Amino acid sequence: MAFPYAFRLAARSILYEKWINLLSILTIAAGLLFIAITALSVYNIDVTTKRLPEKFSVMLYLRDNLSGKELENIINTVRKDDTVKRVKYISRDEAMKELKTTLKDTKYVLDGLGENPLPDSIEVKLKDEAVSPDTVKRLTAKLREIKGVDEIEYGEKFLSSIYSLKVGMNTIGIVFVIIMSAGMIFVCYSTVKILFYRKSEEIETYKLLGATKGFIRAPFIIEGAVMGFIGGLLSLIGILSLYYTVIFRLSYTIPLFKTIIFPINISLYLPLAGLFLGMTGAVIAIGRIRY
Amino acid sequence: MIHFHDVSKHYDNQTALRKITFSIDKGEMVFVTGLSGSGKTTLLKLIYLAEKPDEGNISVAEWEIDKLEESSIPLLRRHIGVVFQDFRLLNNRNVFDNVALALRIRGVNEKELKTRVFDSLKIVNLRHRADSYPHALSGGEQQRVAIARAIVSDPTIILADEPTGNVDPDTSAGIIRTFKDINARGATILIATHDRALFKNTGRRVLRLDSGNLTGEEIG
Repeated sequence: MAFPYAFRLAARSILYEKWINLLSILTIAAGLLFIAITALSVYNIDVTTKRLPEKFSVMLYLRDNLSGKELENIINTVRKDDTVKRVKYISRDEAMKELKTTLKDTKYVLDGLGENPLPDSIEVKLKDEAVSPDTVKRLTAKLREIKGVDEIEYGEKFLSSIYSLKVGMNTIGIVFVIIMSAGMIFVCYSTVKILFYRKSEEIETYKLLGATKGFIRAPFIIEGAVMGFIGGLLSLIGILSLYYTVIFRLSYTIPLFKTIIFPINISLYLPLAGLFLGMTGAVIAIGRIRY
Repeated sequence: MIHFHDVSKHYDNQTALRKITFSIDKGEMVFVTGLSGSGKTTLLKLIYLAEKPDEGNISVAEWEIDKLEESSIPLLRRHIGVVFQDFRLLNNRNVFDNVALALRIRGVNEKELKTRVFDSLKIVNLRHRADSYPHALSGGEQQRVAIARAIVSDPTIILADEPTGNVDPDTSAGIIRTFKDINARGATILIATHDRALFKNTGRRVLRLDSGNLTGEEIG
């Protein structure tokens, strides 16, 4: 198979059928741009939830007047759990000191309290992989059974909502990427199918002159790949423009935008993704060639 | 080189060829003649496998047609140069590219291709029209382009379906001379024509078809 000739045929077809090809390229570019934006959102949520374990802790508030041995027993029992990374005892006095530091100038609100009302507590840090609603629920249920533990607090609602958001975004992201990819494959499929039908007389002549299936298929697959690749390049330009004009500039005025992470190296794969989708559409469109 | 044994071909309820048996040896130049609809084109199509026989056996060169796998069909066709009745030229390619297509399909490099295409065009006296597109050519010129494309790859077999259908007697005689020259170089040639003048006094075998039956053989 003379590949340079197949490239020439593909280039010729792209130029001759420029409007239908341009339409496909723009559709692919838009589709890949949407995919990139979705991936960016999913990625940012993922990064945020991955940082969560560093800050997450379960607080065990203890009964008053525990003996040293009882306290040691509680700490040892907590430590034995596989999911626990670190255990820190915070006495009521330390807790009050910390509270006063936090309140700073408004610490006068504590003046009328008289005796320190805060309980002794234990801060439990979990292993990163253990910070999920199910694991934490199981652990807290177990810790609640320990004699001397009065109350447990860990921001249950916050944890479940952030994880629901993560799971939800992941699911939506995957479904969206699948639908958009299928859509782009269909666009390439339709374009190549139309071109294939338009050239059916020509293809018939190729066959009668002894062309192999590869010779017939190659220009169409190249055309699909080029369409996808150019579409991917345009979407890359789109996402870079979006980054520089919107996120980069807006972060000066709206600090929230500074928290958005933009993995630029992943975006570089967009043209390759386009190429793959274009080729897939073309291969399906040509189907089985019969003599 | 080409053997038909009891070959029949039907289209719906019509019989295009009925129990045809004949052989053409390597290096022969044979004519097949008959009225329109006698089965000449079908007979040629069976050789280059544009159609498959309903009954009987066909062998072409080393291939048994009924045992041929689909992937081998292009290989068979590369041994055969066909001058189609409707020429089958690509209107969006110039004469050079139309002729070159037969070589590009065979993977011939561009340098060699150029020489061979111009040599073929010279044989059919169309070198000066290499850059023209088919729609700018007369019927006779288009036919000669089709002949150039059929011979450019030096095939072992050449099939020509009414190769002089659109040309004047002088050009017609020229085309037959061209086929004779190619035949003299060893190619086996089968020409389908209704024009008796074409094979008259050629001294070549002529197969006569009538309503799908092979009714006889004569020397032209």
